[in-house]
Amino acid sequence: MAGRILVVDDEAHILHVLSLKLRNAGYEVVTAVDGEEGFELACEKLPDLIITDLQMPYMTGLELCRMLAADEETAHIPVLILTARGYALDEEDLKIGNIREVLSKPFSPRRVVQMVRESLAAEADRVRTDESKPEAA
Amino acid sequence: MRAGKIASLCLVLIVAAVGAVLSLLATSLPWLASMHPVLRLCLTFLGLATVSAAILLPLGTTLDRTVARLRSYIEATGTERRTATFWGPKWARPITRALIGAVEQFRQREQMLTNELREVQIRHRVSEAERRQIESVLHVLRDAVLVTNAFGDIVIVNEAAGRILGFDHTQALHQPLEQFVDDECLCQLINETAETANFADRRHVEHEISVPDGQGDKEQTLLFLVTLACLENHKREVGGVVTILHDLTRVREISQMKTDFVSKASHELRTPLSSIRAYVEMLVDGEATDEESRQEFYRIIQNETERLGRLIDNMLNISRIEAGIVQIERENVDIKHLITRAIDTLEPEASQKQITLNSKMAEVDLSVEGDCDMLFQVVLNLVSNAVKYTPAGGRVTVAADSDNLTRSVVVSVSDTGLGIPPDAIGKIFDKFYRVENYKRVAKGTGLGLSLCKHIVETLHHGQVGVESKLGMGSKFWVTIPMRYAGSQAA
Repeated sequence: MAGRILVVDDEAHILHVLSLKLRNAGYEVVTAVDGEEGFELACEKLPDLIITDLQMPYMTGLELCRMLAADEETAHIPVLILTARGYALDEEDLKIGNIREVLSKPFSPRRVVQMVRESLAAEADRVRTDESKPEAA
Repeated sequence: MRAGKIASLCLVLIVAAVGAVLSLLATSLPWLASMHPVLRLCLTFLGLATVSAAILLPLGTTLDRTVARLRSYIEATGTERRTATFWGPKWARPITRALIGAVEQFRQREQMLTNELREVQIRHRVSEAERRQIESVLHVLRDAVLVTNAFGDIVIVNEAAGRILGFDHTQALHQPLEQFVDDECLCQLINETAETANFADRRHVEHEISVPDGQGDKEQTLLFLVTLACLENHKREVGGVVTILHDLTRVREISQMKTDFVSKASHELRTPLSSIRAYVEMLVDGEATDEESRQEFYRIIQNETERLGRLIDNMLNISRIEAGIVQIERENVDIKHLITRAIDTLEPEASQKQITLNSKMAEVDLSVEGDCDMLFQVVLNLVSNAVKYTPAGGRVTVAADSDNLTRSVVVSVSDTGLGIPPDAIGKIFDKFYRVENYKRVAKGTGLGLSLCKHIVETLHHGQVGVESKLGMGSKFWVTIPMRYAGSQAA
């Protein structure tokens, strides 16, 4: 299994199409329809990467990122943001938690899969580097 | 006349001669030398008196006549005076001419002053009228206008200035600015403007002022554009400062609402577009491996395309209705049929949230004269809102009946949802308005209810309304006249 991905979006079609694309690419996919459910699943399933929409009822994508960053168990999980309001994010927002990329809607599922691969590879490199540091010391 | 004059002259000469003789006799004749001195003095005095009388009497008469003629000349007007000639004895004519000249000058001066006085009075009346007109204009203005003189006293102030800055404008005239304006920052701005003595440029500053909101003791902070200009007096010195406060609050609110709308509209448009693009790409990439999946993708693309179209229609319709350029097609519309269609459309969404969606329609004819598509839009929007804002497990009821008194059909949509806060009830049909706390509950552009109101009230001459209790649900209702009363399409 290439990795476990949590997809959070209140649009059923987006959840469906992303799940299908990621599953076809070999990933295990977990889905949530709002930020609250997303955070619960993130804590429970500890995915390797999270893809979340920005504007959602009950808890926005940014609030979800804050919650993830505040929890030791989930703080390291890389996050990709999918948004229909790209310009609403400023530099300060992007510093919240572990946000790796922001993709504007309408998006290409192909591109999403490519970014998931890159992010997971970068995360794996980071973990390897962190693990090798104490040995080198 | 001439003989009379000669006779008068002779008489005067004779009397004078007698007087002179008497005086001479009294002083020079020797036989009178023995006369008592007192008697002789009396005789001399008598002689001199006779001579004086003989000279002064005709002179007095002449002068008296001259003065009388002079008076009548002064009192004469216009033509009489112009035709008057010089008169009196020749020896007196230089005097009368000089007097007449002086009188004439005096008269001209008097006429000039009278004219000037009349002109000043007219100017005063005109300027009073203009002042009152300018004051009326100033008081009608929504902008606050405050003019101070070089000494910092208020010389012009309108009602708006008093209202915004919190003082009685009728009491503030000719009083020091600081005594009435309790806003240190504004006073400082005015004083600084006077000190700069810059007559060429106006200064524009944005400034917030706390203003009573007209409901009790509450205050609201409003944003003003303060325009300050230095006034120049006739000596080219600072004559005062004119200050104008223009309320920017509403403009900013509208601007913010438009920005929010563009942002929301962009989000709403991008969402179906995202699905369409993603599914098309999936089809192109061959991700749908079987015919069933492909058919599902086609259906989603079709539905999302329709959703996008509906959204754009909503936006355009509202703009067209507002611009008054909508031509509607009136036909006989069965409201029962519209309600059934709306319920069928939203049933899947309601089922997903376990919301019971039912209808209660009176067993009478519920037809109206109107635009079928527009009225369907109204019912669909109301039911869709009810489903959106009702928590899972709730109930939405669509009821329709006829009101014979007003000859209209009444449609109501009741839910067991969140209800509307009292302060939001009045704004709920405003364009772009969304209840702040509910933005997180469901997505929307804030256009749906505004569109309903426009369609019902502007295009069908009906009414819309809402009754709601926070936490207990809401009931939206519309009334549509059965027969269109207007003579032309809106």
